[in-house]
Amino acid sequence: MAYEALDFYDIDSLLTEEERMVRDMVRDWVEERVLPNIEDACRDGIFPDEWRVEIGEMGILGAPLKGYGCPGLSYIAYGLICQELERGDSGVRSFASVQGSLAMYPIWDFGSEEQKEKYLSGMAKGELVGCFGLTEPDYGSNPGDMITRAEDRGDHFLLNGAKMWITNGTIADIAVVWAKLEGVIRGFIVEKGDEGFSAPEMKGKHSLKASVTSELVFQDCKIPKDRLIPGVKGIRGPLSCLNNARYGISWGAIGAAQSCFNSAREYSLSRIQFGHPIASFQLVQNKLSWMLREITKGQLLAYHMGKKKDDGSWIPEQISLAKMNNVDMALEIARMSRDIHGANGILDEYPVMRHMANLESVKTYEGTHDIHNLILGRHITGIQSFTREP
Amino acid sequence: MGVAVLLKQVPDTTAKISVTGGRVDESSITKWSISPYDEYALENAIKLKESGYGDVVVITCGPARASKCLTEAAAVGADKLIHVVTESGSLDSIQIQALLSAAVKESSCDVVMCGKQAADTNSGSTGPGVASALGYSCVGAVTEVSIEGNVISATRLGPLGLEEVEVETPCVFTFDKGDTELRRPNVRGIMMAKKKPIDSLTSDDLGVDTSNSMVSVESHSSPPEKPPGQKFVGAESVPAVVNMLRNDANVI
Repeated sequence: MAYEALDFYDIDSLLTEEERMVRDMVRDWVEERVLPNIEDACRDGIFPDEWRVEIGEMGILGAPLKGYGCPGLSYIAYGLICQELERGDSGVRSFASVQGSLAMYPIWDFGSEEQKEKYLSGMAKGELVGCFGLTEPDYGSNPGDMITRAEDRGDHFLLNGAKMWITNGTIADIAVVWAKLEGVIRGFIVEKGDEGFSAPEMKGKHSLKASVTSELVFQDCKIPKDRLIPGVKGIRGPLSCLNNARYGISWGAIGAAQSCFNSAREYSLSRIQFGHPIASFQLVQNKLSWMLREITKGQLLAYHMGKKKDDGSWIPEQISLAKMNNVDMALEIARMSRDIHGANGILDEYPVMRHMANLESVKTYEGTHDIHNLILGRHITGIQSFTREP
Repeated sequence: MGVAVLLKQVPDTTAKISVTGGRVDESSITKWSISPYDEYALENAIKLKESGYGDVVVITCGPARASKCLTEAAAVGADKLIHVVTESGSLDSIQIQALLSAAVKESSCDVVMCGKQAADTNSGSTGPGVASALGYSCVGAVTEVSIEGNVISATRLGPLGLEEVEVETPCVFTFDKGDTELRRPNVRGIMMAKKKPIDSLTSDDLGVDTSNSMVSVESHSSPPEKPPGQKFVGAESVPAVVNMLRNDANVI
């Protein structure tokens, strides 16, 4: 049976033909290439390299960026791409989010002309993989106090420190690394093979298993002077990248939720207990209707957020709300869907447990659920509550 | 010179079909696609173009919704798009062939490609019918073509193995599914496709009389539901199973 994505309020009718075609292209690719192979990829703990190649060939990386060989799509199209990729697996969407919003975006917005020319078109084609080094072992929600330092040594910079939880790190050709230069956060482009740079993979994850997660280690790492990203100083640099990635996640979560909803609906219609399909029981219907309600609200939130991204009228707090709400609802839907599947819900025959485990990471990365609450809290009251210090 | 590809938009092979009041309810079909065999025709036409043989002109005959399949074809490399606008299900095969033939003439293509049959009606009449109307030679159920001068060689599955057929232009090929891998669209293709104009033509524009269909569909009905499977457990059911395999299924 063809996959019919839940679209109770007919968001489809609001999309342009181009947006629908891009969505369908990615949806078809996920059906054909990701869904039949995702459980193997998770079991083996790998992100298959052919996915990188094919995602590159589709031309969806860095979706909303214009020029330098980038796709130049709308933010709505970018959201739809994230939704379809994450319907497959959060790890696949993470690959695209990190490449586009976290690695390409800072080069596109803040990079020198030479940096844009050198990296962007290869990255848009997936020929060059990028990663984003902000989080450190001891600085997650509080990246401003990072330890990683860059020193000006005349004809080069010397980088020292370590980053952790870096998606794509080990497979990346370039890393956009945030480090303090004379006490100010700056972005640096580190290339694979640079002296003093290594990116060991982190093993043992129960979540995002089909995604590469790494440490980035810099030990007297020598960086040529022209790899400093010139256009931004301070925490604003990395945070502006995160705004784009978080926006994409607000759509991605819908894809994961749609997948869990679909599986729960189908399962409940075919599972017979007490002589009747469990879908005919009120408690199950109540759960399904709750899922439909939450997904529909999430879709309206993401769509409207996309329109605001497209016309430039957004504020970061709105993205915090969209990311926080949609991941939260997706995780609850995954748990509820597992419940409807009974014991079968823990098997890899169904996508539910995988999405649930993935969404635990998605809830925490790119600003934890609680940090987004604090961002909104500050917006409402004008009082920041991240730190006790004034 | 050039290749005309005849595309038919059909309900996706995985779409749910519901019948109400003796008619397929088109509004309940959520996904329409290019008929799968036509996709092989399109892929081979694009390959022919890449080997230097003129433009690819895609032609569809159908209601407004059918224009989408032209844009999809443009996204993977079709150059010109012609939509012969008709009402859904109102024409017989000969009328459709007359319209398509007239559109092929308009396109001045001398090679025509289409699927060997459509996934919905399965009648297999379009290719041979268009060839007959245009006076072109016709090779059916081919899987690959290549061109040298004005001679095109085609590969088709014959009764004893693969047949190599040579034919001079102008000609019509109908396509079977072969080993050819279909290309995926990409964002660049989709953005170019959006800008490609669709040439909309009516039967009047083409000078084809479509007033008297010789075939009228009286009603549609769903195929009978398959009987549920049977389950046998334990050694004592072996004779019954053997008996059924021998006498009902005729497999042993």
